[in-house]
Amino acid sequence: MHLPEHIDFRANVQSVAPHIPRSVRQATTRFLGTRQAVVDVLGNERWQALRQAGHAIRLHTLNYLDDYLTRLEEQVVAAGGIVHWARDAAEARRIVLDVMRARGVRRAVKAKSMATEEIGLNHALQENGISVLETDLGEFIIQLAGVGPSHIIVPAVHLTKEDIADLFTRKLGVSAPADPLQLCAIARTRLREEFLAADVGISGANFMVAETGTLVIVTNEGNGRMCTTLPPLHIAVVGIDKVVPDLNALNVLLKLLPRSATGQKMSAYTSFITGPRRTPQEGGPQELHLVLLDNGRTRILSDPLLRQTLLCIRCGVCLNVCPVYNHVGGHAYGFVYSGPIGAMLSTQLLGVRAAAALPFASSLCGACAEYCPVQIPIPEILLRLRRRVVEGDHSENAVAPLTLRASARVGALALRLPWLYAIGTQILAFLQKPWQREGWLTRLPPPLQRWTMVRPLPAFGANFRAWFRHRANVTK
Amino acid sequence: MNSREQILSDIRTALQRDPQSPRQPLPASARVAARVPGDASAEMQMLFNEITRLGGVAQHVPADELTRALEQLVQQQQIRRATCWNTPELAALNLPARLTQLGVQLVSPHADPRALAECDLGVTGVDWALPETGTLVLCSSADKPRAVSLLPRVHLAFISPSALRADLDSVLDEVKGERYGVFITGPSRTADIELTVTIGVHGPKALYVWSIVK
Repeated sequence: MHLPEHIDFRANVQSVAPHIPRSVRQATTRFLGTRQAVVDVLGNERWQALRQAGHAIRLHTLNYLDDYLTRLEEQVVAAGGIVHWARDAAEARRIVLDVMRARGVRRAVKAKSMATEEIGLNHALQENGISVLETDLGEFIIQLAGVGPSHIIVPAVHLTKEDIADLFTRKLGVSAPADPLQLCAIARTRLREEFLAADVGISGANFMVAETGTLVIVTNEGNGRMCTTLPPLHIAVVGIDKVVPDLNALNVLLKLLPRSATGQKMSAYTSFITGPRRTPQEGGPQELHLVLLDNGRTRILSDPLLRQTLLCIRCGVCLNVCPVYNHVGGHAYGFVYSGPIGAMLSTQLLGVRAAAALPFASSLCGACAEYCPVQIPIPEILLRLRRRVVEGDHSENAVAPLTLRASARVGALALRLPWLYAIGTQILAFLQKPWQREGWLTRLPPPLQRWTMVRPLPAFGANFRAWFRHRANVTK
Repeated sequence: MNSREQILSDIRTALQRDPQSPRQPLPASARVAARVPGDASAEMQMLFNEITRLGGVAQHVPADELTRALEQLVQQQQIRRATCWNTPELAALNLPARLTQLGVQLVSPHADPRALAECDLGVTGVDWALPETGTLVLCSSADKPRAVSLLPRVHLAFISPSALRADLDSVLDEVKGERYGVFITGPSRTADIELTVTIGVHGPKALYVWSIVK
């Protein structure tokens, strides 16, 4: 995926096929149901204590991020791993390519990772003649289909089993029945060969433990284990925000993540990887590289409120509860991160120039904040980002059109000065006359037509004071 | 300034943090109470229930019926080739001899991954287990290769009651000294196609957990 230069959320929403939100809603409903069941087993009191602890741990780590990162580096190196630092996507891609070139890598297998999607790694590798295969079943399917993910946990949820069978038949040259079990078996056989033949396994990490230099990877299918066990070389690309202080802190986060994401008490496989293998007999990669990715994250740290965006552990529960996401699905958000976390993160990673529409892609209902396992104040962050879009702040200039900013200012002024408000209502009542049809404004000139092309606007009545006076006279 | 220095300096600037100022310990609110365990047999039962719920098969096997249980497994799952961890605990159960007796070909756990991938059965021990979540923790060493619980179609894990721990927290304390560990919770699974839960994707398709009763 190329880094988008401009995300037009409205246009994207218009082009979403109607079946996508339908299948997305099935997924989100399922996940919310299973999540509630495992939270109930723990009891609400224990769950809330975990959320509070999760918040405290993540915030503490961010507040000492430089310290924890250097400690992590020390420990990874002590365990025999090699650590690289990448300021941006281009540098991260170059580091990965250099490591691979030096070892003559030609075939790569990949476990699901948002960070590598964020830097557009697959594209860069393919351009340089290295074949790269996504091995998470959902990612494998959408890679074959050549589309982006519609949900963070189940990326191919918008495709039916018939679609997938058709895709397998066309792209893999096998006769594939429309049956999940058999489709799974086809992918297993096909990918097994790839795991055994690959020169490198690429992964992200859900957490990095500073105390021990351990990468923690949470998966269900076993593809993450394959990618990090079988090839002789393992490269992990991980955002600098994924560090946690120690294993006791990890305890809390590992209890929050699978429960919030898929409603599992634990995912099928949670791998703890500390450096490369010690002996050839135990198996595992001979070489481990960790690429620590900044790519705009340090910039997010500078504001204490916005900093909390980086508390995120990528469980995706905010997508599941979001009424906006449930109506549009993941593609509309135009980047790897979708839903409320996408609205917060994309806007800050890509800048408001590219993603000005995303902070507005929310009703601010606050369900996401109630469910968030690390208590990110999502609506407040979105409000702050809306302000950045419209007014600009210390980090970026405003990008809203001058007309919008000017009318917002006039509106604010009118609400402050009663006399101006009174005059304004009379002027508006007069100005609307040419477009008024029986109490409705059905077609307004630009830029107001953006409202009326979707629905009519009620005509301005007399102003409220006049109406109230009149009403008082009538009742007397 | 190289990228490492640049990133660290950007972080310190953003946080307005003096690198010389000491780091505070984690706040008290970051601690949660550990789970209180029940008695040993209740804990084992809870582990078994969870594994069963996840689609695994968990059972107590009397020591003198081990061969019969193995025979059943070999028939049910059509096991022709097997590989096994090289630990004293499993050696004491005399597993290689028992399997060979049943006509199963034994493959060295140090064999090439391709050979291990052809195995129908991988036999391991369990370092620790978590009853609350149905989780088995397996570490690795020369005698406990990682691929034995990953590549074969069926995974059979022998667990002893002494492996049970009440809470993830205490397992993590013990895992601290290890270089590699995998927490296994049920057989491999996916819901990626139409949300249909499908058991057996890339990892094992079946998980058996046996506790030997003397």
